[in-house]
Amino acid sequence: MYKQILYAEWSALRVPVLLLGVLAFALPLLTVTYGGSLEGAPAGRVAQWLFAAQQIGLLIPGFAVLVGVLLGIGAWASDHAGKHVYALSLPVSRPRYMWLRFVAGLALLLIPVAALGVGAIVAALSVSLPSGVHAYPLELTARFLMACLVCYAIFFAISISTRRAALAVLGVIGGLLLADGLLAMMGSEASVTPTVLMWLTNWPGPLSILIGRWALFDV
Amino acid sequence: MSNAIETRDLAYRAGRHFAIPGLSLTVPEGAIYGFLGPNGSGKTTTIRLLLGMLRPRGGTVRVLGSAVPGEMAAILARTGYVPERPHLYPHLTVAEATRLHAAFYPSFDPAYAAELQRGFGLPPGHRISHLSKGETGKLLVLLALAQRPRLLVLDEPTDGLDPVVRRDVLAALVDFCSRGSTTVFISSHLVHELERICDWVGVLDEGKLAAELPMQDFKNGIKRLRVAHVPETVTGAPFVVLSRESTGSEQTWVVRGWEPRMAEWLGAANAELKEVVDLDLEEGFVELLRASRVPAA
Repeated sequence: MYKQILYAEWSALRVPVLLLGVLAFALPLLTVTYGGSLEGAPAGRVAQWLFAAQQIGLLIPGFAVLVGVLLGIGAWASDHAGKHVYALSLPVSRPRYMWLRFVAGLALLLIPVAALGVGAIVAALSVSLPSGVHAYPLELTARFLMACLVCYAIFFAISISTRRAALAVLGVIGGLLLADGLLAMMGSEASVTPTVLMWLTNWPGPLSILIGRWALFDV
Repeated sequence: MSNAIETRDLAYRAGRHFAIPGLSLTVPEGAIYGFLGPNGSGKTTTIRLLLGMLRPRGGTVRVLGSAVPGEMAAILARTGYVPERPHLYPHLTVAEATRLHAAFYPSFDPAYAAELQRGFGLPPGHRISHLSKGETGKLLVLLALAQRPRLLVLDEPTDGLDPVVRRDVLAALVDFCSRGSTTVFISSHLVHELERICDWVGVLDEGKLAAELPMQDFKNGIKRLRVAHVPETVTGAPFVVLSRESTGSEQTWVVRGWEPRMAEWLGAANAELKEVVDLDLEEGFVELLRASRVPAA
């Protein structure tokens, strides 16, 4: 049963998943675009190189969001197209079907994660690092996996929810923006949206995994 | 005889304009039950309520002896369903969709599926999105039949199909039914189609059951009578007058439950029976609907 669901999902999403895999492999390699050996290079050049590598690292959490969005929404795309009639007519409970879909999406998610891991290892091996600078391919991959998981789970949940629930989420976002607008009109310096964003992105907020340093190379 | 489907006072509402106020259906086990009704009468909604896809506002539903929605997985494992609109994943091929479907049904018969696939001329490697409407309809029927279900629920399975495909689909259905004791619940607004295969008929109109009776009674009992010297009232008649229409000094009645011996009742009422005309199923269906909306005086 699971094998067939996984195959159906792979069949629907293989093109975007493979593209994500290629991008994931390429992303860490961008870090070493400047290439060459850094061994014995002056400290200033190493610092510049590290700064550039870290700037490229900032793309990775954005990429994790993209992976989560595509797979989270893609997991339900086929069922949405048929208004869920096929899923509802199958002799499995709704929670079980949901888990089958969730786990199938997770399996596909491992492809870009693995590609990023391989890309990170290749990038780490392709550059000679000066003493004091280290490569963290496994740590970066593990973090990317966690970020993808969080984003995938969020968008999977949004995608599976009813129109009413989706409207409620949009309503909350609209309410926050409206509250900020009203506060600004009243001349207040207080603001709600940044506070909520802070809460979401600072530990233990669910999006805190996306924030911070995403460097393949660091001291 | 036990019932494959039984609803009691089933109630549902969708928005302001559509409601099923309290539907009581009885589908005997082993019957081929034609669920007739005009477009928008609530046939698809009723089917979705039977299969637990919609939540009723009231009433009870039992399918194959199990309660809906409490025992849905057990019910659906024994039920083949062909929906009104294709619902399969369009990116899969015919063979892949068959394998996916088979994985969920322990009773799925791959050999029978292959036999049907050859019989229907379905190309196994073609994507569902590339199939014609007729081919998609055949595939839906194939999947439902190959489950070897105890109950087959077909929601307008031949709607929009050309006559050749329609004949293929109905032939496969009749062949399947002749091999076992499956109960078939088939909805349609194509009356002639059901006339050939059904032994029970239920007529739904505006969410209400206008009639539920054996097909034989439906076919034989609905007549058009030409009556002269019409009595003032038809109260106490041994048949049901669905409609009355005056044509000069005579009246044309459409009646249900007619038998030749009932002419005596007209004689006793000093009326003169001029003619008895058999109505075909479609005319009977139309008259039933007319009567359910404006009952005869």
